[in-house]
Amino acid sequence: MRPPATPRERSAPEPAPEGTAAPVTPDDAAAERTAGAPAPGASEASSPGHDPVTDRSDLPPAPPAGRGPRAARPAVPLLAALALWLYAVRHTDVSRLDDFGLVTALHPAFWAGLAVLTAGFWRTVRDPLRPGGWAAAYVFGLLVMERATQALLYPTPLYAWAWKHDGVVDHLLTAGGLQSADQVGDMAVYDQWPGFFAAQAALVRLLGVESAAMYMAWWPLVSSLLLVLPLLLIYRTFTEDRRLIWTGVWLFCVANWVGQDYFSPQSVAFALHLGVLAVVLRRYGRPGGGRGRHGQAVWTVVLSVLVVTIVVSHQLTPGMLVVSLLALCLVRRHRAWVPAATTVVIFLAWCLTAALPFLSAALPDMIRSVGDVGGNVATGYGATPTGTGAVATSWAARLLSGTVLLLAAAGVWRQRVLRHRAMPLLLIAAAPLPMLAASGYGSEMLFRVLLFMLPGVAFFAAAALLPEVRTLAAGARPDAPAAAPAPASRRGVIGAGGPLLVLLATTLAFVPSYSGKDRINYFPPAEVALVQRLFDEAPEGSTVVAANRNYPLAYASYGTVGHYWFLEDDRRHVDAIVRDPAATLAADMAGVERPGRAYFLLTQGQFANSEMNGQLTKAQLNRIRESVADSPRFRLVAENGAGVVYALRREDEDGPAGGTAEADAAEADAAGAETGGAR
Amino acid sequence: MTPQDLVVRMLPPFSGWLALAALALPGGSPLRGAAVAVFLAAGPGAALTGVCGPALRARPARGPVESRDPGFARRSDLLERLMLAVLLSVGAVVIVATVLIATHTFSAQRVLLALTLLTTLAACCPRLRASPPAPRTSTTRKGSAP
Repeated sequence: MRPPATPRERSAPEPAPEGTAAPVTPDDAAAERTAGAPAPGASEASSPGHDPVTDRSDLPPAPPAGRGPRAARPAVPLLAALALWLYAVRHTDVSRLDDFGLVTALHPAFWAGLAVLTAGFWRTVRDPLRPGGWAAAYVFGLLVMERATQALLYPTPLYAWAWKHDGVVDHLLTAGGLQSADQVGDMAVYDQWPGFFAAQAALVRLLGVESAAMYMAWWPLVSSLLLVLPLLLIYRTFTEDRRLIWTGVWLFCVANWVGQDYFSPQSVAFALHLGVLAVVLRRYGRPGGGRGRHGQAVWTVVLSVLVVTIVVSHQLTPGMLVVSLLALCLVRRHRAWVPAATTVVIFLAWCLTAALPFLSAALPDMIRSVGDVGGNVATGYGATPTGTGAVATSWAARLLSGTVLLLAAAGVWRQRVLRHRAMPLLLIAAAPLPMLAASGYGSEMLFRVLLFMLPGVAFFAAAALLPEVRTLAAGARPDAPAAAPAPASRRGVIGAGGPLLVLLATTLAFVPSYSGKDRINYFPPAEVALVQRLFDEAPEGSTVVAANRNYPLAYASYGTVGHYWFLEDDRRHVDAIVRDPAATLAADMAGVERPGRAYFLLTQGQFANSEMNGQLTKAQLNRIRESVADSPRFRLVAENGAGVVYALRREDEDGPAGGTAEADAAEADAAGAETGGAR
Repeated sequence: MTPQDLVVRMLPPFSGWLALAALALPGGSPLRGAAVAVFLAAGPGAALTGVCGPALRARPARGPVESRDPGFARRSDLLERLMLAVLLSVGAVVIVATVLIATHTFSAQRVLLALTLLTTLAACCPRLRASPPAPRTSTTRKGSAP
């Protein structure tokens, strides 16, 4: 059978796949209910040889929650998993991370807990007698184990990008308003999409904390929980089968390793994006029951609030939303131009007013990258995993994404009924792909496209792990052709064991994919204290020179302190620095005018980032450090186990003052120990 | 309106005024954090969803093609209301904070006060109702068979 090709065909009642009866329309289903739907027992009996039930229609409604030990049985693996996780968290030492990040540092109990949780989930979600609340509890447990572990293990927030966003919030609070490129240079882009940062600025003050760094370690858990509601609603638009719904949510959680859940505008914008899609799928389009435009205006107002929030917060998400909404218009029954038009109008209005300065400057580059798919998906210098750990964890991530994509393809191919019913989800999954041809988005477009595809992909991947969906009518028909019963042993392995193994493998693969590069992303308290000391000392107009931007507080005081990250410079200049570090760096730093000073900062986060991403090796960076230390043109400002800070001497300054430098270094060490990294 | 309805309706503005009062507590205190976080996460959205509820519900929701569970649609609607309460709250916080910061009138207290007033206003407003759908007129022409 071929899929419907023309819009008219698509609007026709769903064709029945071979071997099944025609699916029923909602009206038919209602009539069927009135006439008396087949009893659950009869439906189950219709499954040949009591095969695993095939659809929600085959699942008897869950009885009222029973009481007693049997009803609470699903709690056993859940509590066991959480207990193992807690034990692991208490017995994991993150002070000496290697190139495998958290993977090798985690206590074995963590892995055992994750395996128990997955097995418990799979058993519970497939049991028709268990109420759906247990599946929700397991997904909550998964999110806690996935997204709260780092917050509990590390004393400081992860990710240089999260620290950067903390810097932006701090700057907004200091400036009290939005600033232009004349005042803050490239960082003005954040003032042109200020929504997330303005809200965080308010939150920081309302909570009465010093900065967003006090709570941003928990943001991955918060933002991931925010995704669950819209995701559930989207899936519930296409099926009542709670196994499919919750397994889809589970797979979404474990395949969402790309790390856009950290303290960032996109973490919130993505949840809003899913919320808009959920509303459009449920409340717009051409209804079977002739809803017309009745009540649509109020829904459009609600959508507009969500869209405005997305548009003022993030650059890419509105584009992704537009392509998704346009893709939905390809299906006649979900065709709704109003949400797509509303989003386009609001997006354009923002781009042509508040965001115009950035866009007009970036437009030439954006136009150049259109159509250059190869260039857009290329990672570029400084993003090549280097070393056994980095390569292994990168491959784990690729395999995880590849597996989920293959599962989704298998689900689409195998589940013919679902393929027709959930065609809009298929379109939503495919819609972000053209964006690969539109822009490189700082070498990140591939990851972003993967993220936006994931809601649809996870649904069909879950469908691949579950028995084939049949129509209610097909299941009820006494003469329905029965699938040839498989031998019991084979059925047992493939029917339950196979999907469980796949689910287990993907769940465990999440950890190296998500936390495998924690050596790069984690900044110990001593490193935070060292950088804080630099900024405490740096007068206005200073410049900080560092190998790369992978250190905490890199954007602190960005309104008054400049940066130069030499590994982002031309390769020939990097080679010159490697050949003669002190002289080249001194020449680079000499242009800083008084009262500003030029500082050289080298920390362990920069070492990790450079080594593991194929830039300079540890030996090369150590040579740079030694060269600067030996040069009379530099003065040691601070030093501790996490790095060093040097200041370029002014011409009128005296020679080396070892005693002062040593005292400074000791002071920085003490500060690191005292503050514990808190700002 | 029953007393229970009144309590449900007034809960979001109450949580807003409570959050405002909690600002008197020292910075970083868990009580202050909880009061602020709960209101910002759901208060404005719950009030807006409440005021628009009848109008929103006038448009039936699309569900799975086949349905056996009569409670499924009701639970989906409930989930939708919950989602809208949270996402509209996030939207309200972002939009109000952005407007204040763009007009150089930003202060966290103003953000919270504006959201609380908005929530109170929404709670006190009469419920928005969609106009009833136009009755279908018969297209049978005079003289033709019914």
